[in-house]
Amino acid sequence: MSSVVSAVDLKIGYSSSSVLANIDNLQIVKGEIISIIGESGIGKTTLIRNIAKLQEPLAGELLIFGLDTRPKRGNVGYIPQKLGLIKHETVYFNVLEGAICHQSIFRSVSGFHDQKVIDKVEESIKLMRLSDKIDEPIKYLSGGQQRRVAVARTMAQGAKLILADEFLSELDDKTADTVWNVMHDYVKANQITLIIVEHNIERAKLADRCFKLERGENNFSILVEVEK
Amino acid sequence: MKFDSSTLLRRKKYPIFLLCVILTTWYVFVDLVDGDWNSLENSLENLSIFFYESLWPPNWKVLEARSYPVCDRNWDILCSPAYIGIVETLKIAFVSTGLGFIISLPLATLASRNLQNDSIAIPFRLLLSGMRTLPSLIWAIFFVILVGLGPVSGVLAMTFYTIGYLGKLQYETIEGLSKDPLDAAKAMGLSNIEIIIRVVVPESANNLISQLLFMFEYNVRHGSVIGIVGAGGIGYYISTYLKFLQYDKVMALLIVLFFVVVIIDLLSIKARSYFVEDASLKYPSMIKTILGVK
Repeated sequence: MSSVVSAVDLKIGYSSSSVLANIDNLQIVKGEIISIIGESGIGKTTLIRNIAKLQEPLAGELLIFGLDTRPKRGNVGYIPQKLGLIKHETVYFNVLEGAICHQSIFRSVSGFHDQKVIDKVEESIKLMRLSDKIDEPIKYLSGGQQRRVAVARTMAQGAKLILADEFLSELDDKTADTVWNVMHDYVKANQITLIIVEHNIERAKLADRCFKLERGENNFSILVEVEK
Repeated sequence: MKFDSSTLLRRKKYPIFLLCVILTTWYVFVDLVDGDWNSLENSLENLSIFFYESLWPPNWKVLEARSYPVCDRNWDILCSPAYIGIVETLKIAFVSTGLGFIISLPLATLASRNLQNDSIAIPFRLLLSGMRTLPSLIWAIFFVILVGLGPVSGVLAMTFYTIGYLGKLQYETIEGLSKDPLDAAKAMGLSNIEIIIRVVVPESANNLISQLLFMFEYNVRHGSVIGIVGAGGIGYYISTYLKFLQYDKVMALLIVLFFVVVIIDLLSIKARSYFVEDASLKYPSMIKTILGVK
């Protein structure tokens, strides 16, 4: 099976003089759930940003869907730690941001959206049980509801690879578990690859494979698989 | 205890900084006066004489209809120099703020370093900076030469300055946006124009509207100055009365202008309070207020 993410001899960081992490070999296949743990400042977010093609690797090979270039529009969904939602806008507006990947730039800019795009938005909002909040601005929602909006956005986007960076932090355990279960069921049902940075080790071990970024030789971080 | 100068500097940095500012200001002022303190000696007395002999009482004839052209309106005040001048100043400020906003927003997105590479952002920053370097008064002189006397040159002058000034405020706002929504949109593969329309503008809308209102308020104040060089508005009448040494009429116009500017300021502050971040809870009620629904 071809890898969704393939990293070989990858060096990541902010400049060649300050390499954060060195990843010898990482292969992630379709439908896998991968969790990454590690202490603060070890390079977890930098790794996720490299996979999202928001940052260039310093050296080595990093292929996403077998390509070295930016993936096809809509294929990668990224949920940053603070979710990246437009706080003043409604649930509908934010979920629509994901769905517009399915239509032309002209249509998304002009605001004349395809009916299938609108249907996709409404369906994602319904699946996340947010229909009663559809016209509510994000800033008035609870932390758990905001995370469900972020998941709905990637659903509407139809992302084949979802990258979530500690997006369950700041939530109480019960709410975090609820959001995690919703996300887990969705990606498993749709054969979507999920890479999640998680600080809760118990939850991280629920993934198919769990990796830990830890301090190696030369002060670089290295990625090691955690036994479950 | 051992005396440590670096600790003293660190702990007393604000008083030391203030003292440095005061001493430097005084030193530069003394250098400017260059020993000629006599010019300041009688200044208060001169002001008092000028005020009571030439400025006071104000001549309220500026609120009466002009003798020519003949007034065909119901109230005389609608044909008065004060009313005509103020209305023209408000129109110039309104049009130039609107035009300036429409032009500056795309330029600001091109000048923002979180949206563009430095090779694109820096030339647009220089362009905005260049437009801001000249005050609206100098732009007004330039456009009076180009298109002649009147409000059109005033509109062009204020629009140019508005683009430079508002553009800077806008790109600073855009650069201050949280990078998370931008990152999420970039990772999705949205184009730059989609990111601007669907992320940048909605995320910074409150600040952009607040700046627009501030700019209108600023342009009303400056609209009165550009008339002095013939670019229309109340400044035209002020400059005419100054030429004929009718200082009492100038005083009356300044009082009228003062009250109009204060009213505009108060309305603008009130309107802006609906859009600044801390008061964003009131945002929907502003729309409801405009629409007249509860």
